[in-house]
Amino acid sequence: MNDHVKTPVLEVIGLRKSFGDNMALGGVDLRVEESEVVAILGPSGSGKSTLVRCIDQLEPIDGGAMYLDGRLLGFESHRDHLRPMTDADIQQQRRRMGMVFQQFNLFPHWTVLRNITEAPIKVHGERPEAARARGLELLDRVGLADKASAHPRQLSGGQQQRVAIARAVAANPRILLFDEPTSSLDPELVDEVLQVMKDLATSGMTMVVVTHELAFARSVADRCVFMAEGLVIEDRPAREFFTSPRSTRLQAFLTRNESRAEADL
Amino acid sequence: MTTPIITPPRAAGRVDVADARRRFHPWRLVVGVLLAVIVLQLAIFFITNPRFEWPVVAEYLFNPSVLLGLLTSIMLTIVGMVFGSLLGTVLAAGQLTEFAPLRWASIVFVAVFRGVPPLVQLIFWYNLAYVLPRIAVGVPFGPELFAWPTNDIITPLTAAIIGLSLHEAAYMAEIIRAGILSVDQGQRDASKALGFSRWHSFSRVILPQAMRVIIPPTGSQVIALLKGTSLVSVIAMGDLLHSVQVIYNRTYEVVPMLLVAVIWYLVVVTLLTIVQRRVERHFSRGLSSTSLTRRTVQKLEVTQ
Repeated sequence: MNDHVKTPVLEVIGLRKSFGDNMALGGVDLRVEESEVVAILGPSGSGKSTLVRCIDQLEPIDGGAMYLDGRLLGFESHRDHLRPMTDADIQQQRRRMGMVFQQFNLFPHWTVLRNITEAPIKVHGERPEAARARGLELLDRVGLADKASAHPRQLSGGQQQRVAIARAVAANPRILLFDEPTSSLDPELVDEVLQVMKDLATSGMTMVVVTHELAFARSVADRCVFMAEGLVIEDRPAREFFTSPRSTRLQAFLTRNESRAEADL
Repeated sequence: MTTPIITPPRAAGRVDVADARRRFHPWRLVVGVLLAVIVLQLAIFFITNPRFEWPVVAEYLFNPSVLLGLLTSIMLTIVGMVFGSLLGTVLAAGQLTEFAPLRWASIVFVAVFRGVPPLVQLIFWYNLAYVLPRIAVGVPFGPELFAWPTNDIITPLTAAIIGLSLHEAAYMAEIIRAGILSVDQGQRDASKALGFSRWHSFSRVILPQAMRVIIPPTGSQVIALLKGTSLVSVIAMGDLLHSVQVIYNRTYEVVPMLLVAVIWYLVVVTLLTIVQRRVERHFSRGLSSTSLTRRTVQKLEVTQ
């Protein structure tokens, strides 16, 4: 490995994934550097959610390769060939990534605090008091310090998603993956979640965000990736992405969604 | 033939529905009276009919051999339920595994033991020595390490435990499988994403949530198994039914002795039902909004 070339946090090369006859990803490349925020945009069915689910190894992939900090994800060399890793090794790799889901997926039978501290205590072996102290600090950061002993059902969607973000951050991941974090929220609850994500980005967290929020992508992301039909159509710095889109598809997408955003105002 | 609906005229004064009287329901009166008559008739039948021989019932209700039979039935229920649930959990996991041979084996096992009537199974296990005179542990197709005559191992007790446990395991496998499938896929995704091990995810995230679905039918299974233990009387296992049969074969007081058994079955089933309700309430924790509200209110009251 060359010393003068910085290893990206995440590198995806030629990633392919099909569901039966249905091609979801047809050879996707993606590179995410340290502290970079990459927004992934595109019409529904373009494969953006599948991409982040594949990166977190929630879906088995068909081909290509993914690297986290230069280490191949999910596979290892064995004699002269590649073979899948053991479950335990895959779990080890997943622990270095955090994931925020569209449906929050908090554990309903636990308190908010236990949702956050379970992984640090049981998976990373932190001391319970230390994990709880950090859990409370994280809750304070997402503005929910008073909800530590509440159960997820008692919270609004926006509050649940902020807890889910705190849960994903608690294990100090190298990278945070967001799968449409605001898509199942009532419109008036979207901003509180986006604000938390913006704070994280400012604090230097490396993030990949699948989203429909163009305004958020424009103001927070360093780079924007436009996907359609399982392929990356454009991958550009955020400013150029919005001001001078190259492909007609992205132009059409931006026009359609921006006019809708204006209509919302 | 419909009665016209009349709105009271405004002129007659202020209308307030709080002043309304109860509506008269003639059919409810008819059914109520009928039920009362039936209950009265039944009560008179049970009390005045000398053939029930209530003094005999009272005499044998706490008879030591009856109580021992009751204890045996309860013991068989507990053992059958424990083995059945353990094996059932393994079979449920087996049915849901990606590894096809294990999945097929589990599916076939469940199909066979759910399909064979428990009475037939009990008689079969009791007569196992007929097809398998010796039970041996050894290398497959190779030398034997240990061997026992089957008749030394298969007693009424072991035949009863094997038969009831296998039958129960097949039913519990289906109940547990349904429970596991009822838990949202997102819960599995989230516990994977946090790096939980398979066991941690299953035992701490999936199973506690599946319990809400697993507990109610399991309660019914316990009750069905308790009643099902009466089948073991055919292989001369000394359960509650068998213990009263032994007595009435001697005294010919069939009906009063059956009443003794019925009373005990009803007592235990009622107790089990009460326990079942409690357990159900416990496991709906965090999942139903009503119990949550109640507990939050309690918590608030404590903190104030």
